Amino acid sequence: MKPEELLELLKHALGGLAKEVTVRKGYVEVLVDADSIVPVANKLKELGFDHVKSVTATDYPKESKIRVTYHVSSYLREDLAKPILGLSVDLPRDNPVMESLAGVWRSSEFQEREVYEFFGVTFRGHPDLRPLLLIPELAERRVLRKDFVVKEESIYEGVPHRYQ
Amino acid sequence: MDVKAVDKVYVGNINVAARRARELLLGKLKLGDVIDWATTFSLWPVHLVTSCCGAEFAAAWSPRFDAEQYGALPWVAPRQTNFIIIEGTVTRKMACALRITYEQMPHPKFVIAMGACALDGGLFYNSYNVVRPWEVVPVDVYIPGCPPPPESLARAIVDLRRKIREKKLASRWLIEGWRHDRDPVKPADDVCKWWRP
Repeated sequence: MKPEELLELLKHALGGLAKEVTVRKGYVEVLVDADSIVPVANKLKELGFDHVKSVTATDYPKESKIRVTYHVSSYLREDLAKPILGLSVDLPRDNPVMESLAGVWRSSEFQEREVYEFFGVTFRGHPDLRPLLLIPELAERRVLRKDFVVKEESIYEGVPHRYQ
Repeated sequence: MDVKAVDKVYVGNINVAARRARELLLGKLKLGDVIDWATTFSLWPVHLVTSCCGAEFAAAWSPRFDAEQYGALPWVAPRQTNFIIIEGTVTRKMACALRITYEQMPHPKFVIAMGACALDGGLFYNSYNVVRPWEVVPVDVYIPGCPPPPESLARAIVDLRRKIREKKLASRWLIEGWRHDRDPVKPADDVCKWWRP
């Protein structure tokens, strides 16, 4: 299935639920409101998208938003798995809270835990929302946001580095 | 009682008698040499694959390179091993597991740090989540490389064996009760602080 055909299919299936459906370079992106993420996910699952390949987030400090993206795909229908489909939600940066999709797609459970520890996005209704890879002290500091500054180390101990 | 007599065996103090017997058997006789010799041929590493150097670790024990010819057999239980190979990057969470594994092993025990990440961060230099292994456990031999080939690992085992034989590390550790040639490493911050309830 071509990305353009998938675009038409999604526009027909989702109707007014999606805020914006775009296609660019073979990548189909469905941008929805935070309120309608669970109905859209259920619609996509009925279409045949049966698993989540990755959950990631992008930090936009100037626009004060965090965009959480689910890349969904299909094992059962090969034509749906050819184009990349991203399901994105824009969240406010100071209080990013959204509904968890772990009830719809079980494979997003661990990846939502990663987004939670690296970006501080809270998922309501998640079965087990704990830090996965980081220690809790680091998870509180939201290390993959743009305003987190890694302490730079010099090569030789005691010699401060020069570049900024 | 005479103060000097406390140190004599005939007083009947069991601790003194045990210590004197240990010094006599292991130090003055050649039994210490036997222990060093035996330790060099039975360095059993524990499996603690922290990163991608574990692939080279596996290749080193494959039939082509055959590190088992040095008497080293990878074993699963840390309580039955005396040797640990840190295979690559040690993250903050893995440092806790590394320290727990190290403290479970009976002494004399030795550490090889493998790969550029274990030396000084390597690829993950300037990271918030990487610790240096020498801040967690005392390291005997370092292997540079990213990743080091299996021949380097074999060379490191041979180097460690020569170090044990020349410095009498195993027997003097048993006699004195601690490592005589270096200070024991204590982690600067409590690496397992988050782990306890």
